[in-house]
Order: sequence, then structure tokens, then C-alpha cells
Amino acid sequence: MPELSRPLPAEDRLVLLPKNPGSFFVFWLFSAGRAEAFASGAFAGELELRLACVDDGAQASVLKAGWQAGRAYLPVPAQGKTYQASLYALRGDAWEKLLESNQAAAPAAAGMAEERAYASMEFHKKVLS
Amino acid sequence: MSSRGSLMFLLHAHLPYVNHPRDSGFLEENWFFEAVVETYVPIISALERLAAEGIRPGVALSISPTLGAMLENEALEDKLQLYVDSRLELIEKELERAAGDPALLRSVKFYQKLYQEAAEVLHKYSGDLITPLKSLQHAGQIEIITTSATHAVLPLLTRPEAVRAQLAVAAEDYEDRFNRKPSGFWLPECAYEPRLNSYLKLSGFNYTFTESHAMEFAAPQAPNGVYSPYRTTNGVGLFARDAASSREVWSSKFGYPGDPAYREFYRDLGYDGDYEYVRPYLGSDGVRRPLGLKYHRITGPGNDLSAKEYYDPEAAMARVEAHASDFLARRMKQTDDFYAARGTRPLIVSCYDAELFGHWWFEGPAFLETVIRKIRAERLPLQFVTPSEYLNSCQEPAELTPGISSWGESGYFDPWVNESNDFIYSAVYAATDKMIETANRFRNQDLNSLAARALNQAARETLLAQSSDWAFLLYIGSHSDYAKGRLEDHSANAVRLLSEVIEKRVDEAALAELEQKNSVFPRLDFKVFASISKF
Repeated sequence: MPELSRPLPAEDRLVLLPKNPGSFFVFWLFSAGRAEAFASGAFAGELELRLACVDDGAQASVLKAGWQAGRAYLPVPAQGKTYQASLYALRGDAWEKLLESNQAAAPAAAGMAEERAYASMEFHKKVLS
Repeated sequence: MSSRGSLMFLLHAHLPYVNHPRDSGFLEENWFFEAVVETYVPIISALERLAAEGIRPGVALSISPTLGAMLENEALEDKLQLYVDSRLELIEKELERAAGDPALLRSVKFYQKLYQEAAEVLHKYSGDLITPLKSLQHAGQIEIITTSATHAVLPLLTRPEAVRAQLAVAAEDYEDRFNRKPSGFWLPECAYEPRLNSYLKLSGFNYTFTESHAMEFAAPQAPNGVYSPYRTTNGVGLFARDAASSREVWSSKFGYPGDPAYREFYRDLGYDGDYEYVRPYLGSDGVRRPLGLKYHRITGPGNDLSAKEYYDPEAAMARVEAHASDFLARRMKQTDDFYAARGTRPLIVSCYDAELFGHWWFEGPAFLETVIRKIRAERLPLQFVTPSEYLNSCQEPAELTPGISSWGESGYFDPWVNESNDFIYSAVYAATDKMIETANRFRNQDLNSLAARALNQAARETLLAQSSDWAFLLYIGSHSDYAKGRLEDHSANAVRLLSEVIEKRVDEAALAELEQKNSVFPRLDFKVFASISKF
């Protein structure tokens, strides 16, 4: 997978972006102190991304990821609802919430059949290629 | 004859901001030169011809702020002139080479006319194509709208301050360029989410456009589908794109641009010509690439470029006539069917990327002109309307909230968020978050001029990092290194400038260089990124 060529400022950040009716994209960064806590073993290397429905507060899904992965795709539990992600890390036996994301709404599934067309360059490339 | 329905054509013109003043032959600047010759000049010429003959075009054009800045950039105008001159020089050689081949000569002469027209129009307006567009709007022939400052896909900006900055800077830029406040706003990539309603309203925009499935999933249900305008609950007008008219123009199965008589895009003298012959017109690296002289027609299905036959401009124009008639016949049927079912006159909204007309579909500007002429000449009961005209004359539109959508592949945000490009967002957000925090910190402070300049340039760099173009180029695998470099440069420039201001160590020489290179939005005030309570 392609990566940035230059390091970013070490800051805590968790961002949730809509991709399509079926999935969200989430990415995270850690401050130097937090990264050190993972590197030194104060936190376990595997973290949990928990997705909660903002509309009813119910926890919707959990995804495990390595702390250095930095990004993941989360399945959308229910279209048309608004969600918020939280990032948890395991310290000893207890899960600790480290970061909370913005809220993001999942689109309702309409889909766009190919023959319906859209006027963008990638489509036109397909037309003429 | 009274109209049975209305047509609205919206052409969205946008290119990413590409300006490399220190380089004489920067390849990505060719995007701009090619679009000027093949799209912007032919469209402007068609609109001017129609207006001169008393046929009001009544189309809407969206000019992105970055494209507007390039069209007014004198250094780019000078390079554009050199580009056109060099093509005319090559065409002179081609006329000699083609002297014994009547079919090729016909094509070469056609290109000679195209480039001569570009040279004449550029000369007439001293290189500044905003001038004729402004005149056409001033005369009421067309309506010009804007889009977000750097064409950011707004639903992918989660910080309210960032969305507000993209809209506020676009509104100010439009006013500076066109001497009036903008009324309409084109959502980049037609990407909509309900959160945008309040930003549009507070930035002074009266209407925008959505994709058709935004109306399919609207709440409450859209009573007339895409065939009438609506309003958001806070009063922003909404026009929905008609899928049928899009399909007929662009679909691979039913669309016009794939006609065998039309120009083949992928076969080009840059690849066909003897290397030593074309070498002076390639880039400094000598790599074969398109030169814009494409002498063949699509010919038939299949990708075998060697089997393509010569382009015949007259045969292509005959197909344009036929396609314009077919397009209008289908719109007539659409309006008749709707009127028969509902008893009201429908509005058909057709939105396209402007660059598809001319650059990709070479005959596109002629098709547009022919459609407009035919309505008048054949006294068809259809009328072209601009968005503001329609909103001012129609009944009070119904209120609704469209569904989240875009016009990108699959209808949502996949082209801008996928495994080929998702790594960019950490850089975009690093710049954006730091810009907002720093704007809040310094918004009420007396700053020396150097610090203020650095903050304003950081705001420019942040906006440029947010452009949709970098993610899109990475997605389609075209100019990927350039896109990644631009994204990283703008993000890093913003973060560095903001750190320099905080640490009171601004490098003035480096700042001056960035100000010259990334010189969009000359009036930009960094405080546009500050948080305000009403958002």
C-alpha cells in the first residue's frame, strides 16, 4: 500500500470518513507519548476500534488492528445512521479509551448502475478506451 | 410557441492549480493548455457566435477558483501562447508532410483552424479568457457559478471550519473575479451530505446541484423526482441531475462520443510520428506523449489503434447534427411523458464536466452549439434556462433533504477514499487541524506583516492540500507521483509555516518563493479558518 514519504507531526487524531453505504474509512495517529507507551509495552500492541451509533448510543461493531497500522475500513452496521468511532488500547487487563473520532453519517444505498453514467473523467476514459 | 419543458445545461470547468513559474516546460501545465485549446476557447467561441446571432445560449458554467486563477495568471498565459505557437509551427510542417495524402491533409487543416482560432481568441482577449466569460454573463447570455476554493470533496472534510473556509474563500474569489456575488454553488464531484446546507446558506449561496440518487433517497420523498427544483429546510435551492440525458451523452452503451465517426482520443502524432521529427515538441525528458494532433477516428469497436481510419471532420459534423436531433427528440419525449403524467412542465438538468466537451469528446462543443441552434431553428417547445432564472420564476419548491451522494463511480466517495489514496488523509488533516488551531490562537492578535503573510500562505497551502484532484489522480494511476508530491508539499508547507509563526522564526525568502508559486487567493485572510460559534 502506498504511504507518505515524509513523517507527520506526532499528534493524537482519530478521523472517521464515509466511503460508501457499506464501509467507513478510519485513520489514527498518536502523540509521541502514546506511541512510546505502545512501543514500550505499556499498552498491548493490538487496539480496538469500536463503532457506536450516535442516534441510539448502541455499540455497533468492534475491529481489532495493530497500533501501527494507522488506518482501517469498518463495515457500516446500518445505512442512513450516524456513527462515531473510539479507539481503545489494553493496559494490563483493562481497555482504556484513547481517542474519539468525529461523527459521520453512513449513506443510504442507492447505487448507480453503470449505464446510468456520470460525467467524470474516469467514466469517460472507460467510454473511449 | 410556448415551452413544454425547460432544459438546464451546467458545464463544470475545473483543473487543479498547476503553476510552476520557474520551469519552462512543466508537463502538468499541459493539462491547462490542452483544455484551453480544445475546450474553453471552442465553448467561448460557440457562446459568442450564438449571442452575436441573437440566440441566447442560456447555459450555466461553473468555473472553479483554481481554474479562474490559472486563466488570469500572466505567466501561464505567456506559456500558453508559446504552446499554441509551437503547435502552429508543427502544423506547418505537417501540412508539408501531408501534401500528398488528401485524407491526412484534411485533418491537418482542421487542426490548423483549431489552433489559429485559439491564437486569435487569446490575442483578442490578451490571453485572459475570464474577460469574454464575464462579458457573456454581464449581457445575460449565461450564468456563471463557483465551486469550493480548491475543489475539495466537502463531505470528506469533517472540521466545520475547513468546510466554511472552502466556501467563504470561493465566494470572495468569485466576487473579485466576476464583480458580483455568486448565487450558485457546484458541489465538487456533486458530493453532498445534509451537513453542507448550513454552510451553503451562511456563505450566501442560493442554490446547488445534486446527483439524481440524492433525490431517490431524499426525506421526505421528492414528489417530482429530478424534474423540478427543491429547497433545503434552510432555503437553499436544489437542482437534481437528470440521469437519462447524462446517459445519452456519455454512456458506453448508448452514448454519442463513441460514434465511429468521432475523433479517436488515444491515437496521437506524439506516438505515431518519427521520433526525431516530433522530439522538439515533446517534453524535456523526450518521452513520447500526446501532442494534441489526433488524425484518426474511432472507426469501430475494439482497442486496436493501428486499425483506426483517418478522421473526416465533415462526416463527424454530420453525426453531430444527428446526435443533437436525437438528444432533443429524447428530451421532447421526456417532457411530453412527464407532462402527460403530472400535468406540469418538467425541468431537465444536464450537468457535465466542461473538459469532456472538446478535450475528451472532441465534437462536444459543436454538439452543444447545435443543440441550442436547433431549439431556435426548429421552433421546438423547449427552452434553455439558467438556474437563477428558473428559481425566480418557478412555484415555491418543496422542502426536502437529499441523500448522501456523489457523481463518482458507484455514487458515493469510493474514488477519493480507497487503498490507492487513503494514506493522504493523515497529511491533509495534519495541515487542516494545525491551521484551525493556529488561526484560533492568532485571530485576535496584532501580527507583524511577516507573520500575517506566513499565516495567509499557510491557509493557501492548506486549501491546496484539500483538493480532490490528488486523491483522484492516485486512484486512476495517472500522474501519481506528481499528485502525491503536491499533496505532501502543500501539507508540509502549511505545517512548517505555522510552526515558524508560533516559534517566531519565519524564513522570509522561502515564504516569498511559496507566495510566488502558490499564488491563488491574493486576498486570503488566515482568519477564515478560525472557529466561529454559529458553525
